[in-house]
Amino acid sequence: MRKLLLQLEPVIWLLFGQGILIGTLLLTGWGLVLGVLLPLGMVPEEALSYDRALRVGGSLLGRLVLLGLAALPLWKEAHHLRSLSIDFGGAERDVWIAPLLYAIAALGSLLALVAVFRIPFPG
Amino acid sequence: MAHPQAMQPARPPRTRTARPKAPDYLRPRMLSYLLFDATGIVYLLAGLVVLRAVFALASGPAAWQAFVADLHHPGYVAFHLLTFVSAVFVGVRFFRLFPKAQPARIGPLRPPPRPLIHAMLYAVWIAVTAFVVAAMVGVIP
Repeated sequence: MRKLLLQLEPVIWLLFGQGILIGTLLLTGWGLVLGVLLPLGMVPEEALSYDRALRVGGSLLGRLVLLGLAALPLWKEAHHLRSLSIDFGGAERDVWIAPLLYAIAALGSLLALVAVFRIPFPG
Repeated sequence: MAHPQAMQPARPPRTRTARPKAPDYLRPRMLSYLLFDATGIVYLLAGLVVLRAVFALASGPAAWQAFVADLHHPGYVAFHLLTFVSAVFVGVRFFRLFPKAQPARIGPLRPPPRPLIHAMLYAVWIAVTAFVVAAMVGVIP
């Protein structure tokens, strides 16, 4: 497993790098709207209606943004929680922690891909 | 003539490598580093919430309305506020490190000066955030 992780390291680092860069770029706006503007009543009801969400999220750009928002943060999470696990528990348990965390990120990414494809095209 | 190894110590000196010891987790720099890594938990949960949003959108109006209703729950609001704070913390720290991590040159090309890279990252960050906000609050129809 260690050998496989080493072989996959370039891919893992690529996804981790995009997770921290693109994930942060996208999550800032997502968190700002749902954590600040929504409770302040600054998000109109019709902005979150199904028809509008489908129109925005069902477009090609919308699907790409949703895929990035759902999948990329999981790779940032996997790599940083792995690092945290090593800092607090030593490198011995990395043999099973790293595959577990990367498997969660890979499964989440796969689910995100499936979900994005399942969004109906706006009529 | 002196022996070539006349000045060599009688015994090999002790290595100057520090003994391994647990880090001081409460030092500010260590705390900041640990917090940076710990935002991974927030990113994991945020990714799962977005995943739920995408599945709800794919499942139809009823599932979407149930998801939107949940977004008004204080627990969701508090979590998204934490997501916003975490993303800002990660962005500020990561964008400060990013220019320093660039290679000195790639072939004949040199990267722009570090302050310029830093400024460009902030410009892109603000632009993408403004775009996401505009799309979510209905400014972009």
